[in-house]
Amino acid sequence: MGSATAPDRCLELQRNERALRKLRTDREKSMKYRTGFLHTIGLKLSITLMLLAAGLVLNGCTALQEAQQRREKRILEARDANLLMLKPSAATIRVAENAPPGKQYGESDHYTLTFAEDLYAHEEFDEVEERKVFTRSALGYMESLYEAMNELFGFQPKHKIHVTLHHVFQGTTLAAVTRTNYRRDYPHGQLVKFITGIEMDFPIQMYERHGVRAHELTHAFTNIYFLPTWFSEGIAVLIQTEYTKGGSHPKFESLKEYLRIDLDGENALENWGGHLDSGPMTHWRYRYAYTLVSELREKYGNALYIKLFQLMEADGLHRKLEGKMPTSFLVYYLSQAAEEDLVPFFEELQFNVRKLKKTDILQAIEAQAVRGMNP
Amino acid sequence: MRKLHLILLLGLICLCYGCTLGQQWSENYTGLPNVKANDPAIIDGDLETIGQSQRKKGSGSVVTDLALPSEAIIFLPEKKAIYRVVIHSSNLEEFELMAMNSRGEWDKVYDRRSNKEPVIDIRLGKVVRTTGIKVVVRRTTDDAARKRENVQLRRENVETGDGQRRRGRYHYYVTGPTTALAKIAEIELYGYASDRNSAF
Repeated sequence: MGSATAPDRCLELQRNERALRKLRTDREKSMKYRTGFLHTIGLKLSITLMLLAAGLVLNGCTALQEAQQRREKRILEARDANLLMLKPSAATIRVAENAPPGKQYGESDHYTLTFAEDLYAHEEFDEVEERKVFTRSALGYMESLYEAMNELFGFQPKHKIHVTLHHVFQGTTLAAVTRTNYRRDYPHGQLVKFITGIEMDFPIQMYERHGVRAHELTHAFTNIYFLPTWFSEGIAVLIQTEYTKGGSHPKFESLKEYLRIDLDGENALENWGGHLDSGPMTHWRYRYAYTLVSELREKYGNALYIKLFQLMEADGLHRKLEGKMPTSFLVYYLSQAAEEDLVPFFEELQFNVRKLKKTDILQAIEAQAVRGMNP
Repeated sequence: MRKLHLILLLGLICLCYGCTLGQQWSENYTGLPNVKANDPAIIDGDLETIGQSQRKKGSGSVVTDLALPSEAIIFLPEKKAIYRVVIHSSNLEEFELMAMNSRGEWDKVYDRRSNKEPVIDIRLGKVVRTTGIKVVVRRTTDDAARKRENVQLRRENVETGDGQRRRGRYHYYVTGPTTALAKIAEIELYGYASDRNSAF
């Protein structure tokens, strides 16, 4: 066996060489496969990573854009909340340019406008062209304001508002007045008050103040509910100050600290006669009424007063009461709107109020009717 | 050589066309829906109605608030690039033009000291991208008349110890604002026509 022949050795060498070659080929194949596999995995990983990165970047951009949009929206909201801004109105305006002093000069969808005699002598109103341009501009503004108020309150008076502009009104250039006229009727023996008209009188100097226009228009809107004077003035100053930013009665820091009581021991607001009741307490009354109304709004939200007017409108009892609305009546509806009994709150502020039920109000109305029949 | 001339000519035509396009003004932005102003007469598109600037909310003190300027403000519902502002006013003499920046603050973008034109056509030096424009009124031609009306010099007589009255010192009495409001028929805001649809 040890003596192998040359051809045998040659054959063995050839076999070995073939085996070696096969081994090399197999290894190369295996290497190639492994490299290919790794390459594919790497490529897939790269693509996944790239997609992930792109996704993150895009997502980041979207989030950034959303954040930017939110910020811009916030700025726009803050911008709009700081000023009373109005859209031009599409109302129809008619001018009677030859109208004499004291007669209706202009008319629009919700107003009529009259110049008092003393204004015809004023430097800025003594020519027809001046009056004509002013009438169109003023009624345009008031119509825009009317639309804004309607949006705010959710209701509007049914009657046209008759505006008269004066140079001096009731001896002063500093007092604007809104009157809501009504008549009493007794259908079925029961009192019902019907609004017959709304009148506004402005000295021209007061008309120039946009806050005063909003204050008076608030009266025109809310006086149809025959509200207690303190509440009517409080809500008008609230709109003037917080909505149109044109108020001149700053809020008190505390209702309790600045409380003033009259000789009957009641809150000095309660028996306020309104515009004509001017005296040393007038400024305090405007401020205190505004503070009170504003505090309730802060506590129970912006919808409190909208809900209050809706509730009163639904019942219609304010039209059946003799004279102005008593505070207890108002507090009954305010409590319903706030979904909380507000009698203790008003009692703490020395208001002469009692907790009412609807039956109490209906009985009072019934008793009125009986008194009316047997005076 | 001829080809080069042709290319140059074509390039020049394109440049001129581009310039012409750039000079076309957009529509008046104040006529767009949901634009608001503190007096709607200044954006109603009617030169026959005249709005007024409004006094800023003051402290309530006549003396402190004497120097407070009045303002005419316009808010746009979205950001617009503004290059040109046209103000139609019969009495505006000195004023500043301000634009609301992205932080909600007002930046001065233009001012004029002595205007005598009833139509003030302002080309802004650079584009102003904004959601609000404000005219701050510093002086009007009606200020003097308003001052005469509301500032009066009166002598305050005083009572002497023996019950007699003697002539006292002169005092100024201020019965109302000493400056007049600007009468503004219209404010127009323009960008370039090509920028019409781009907010940024």
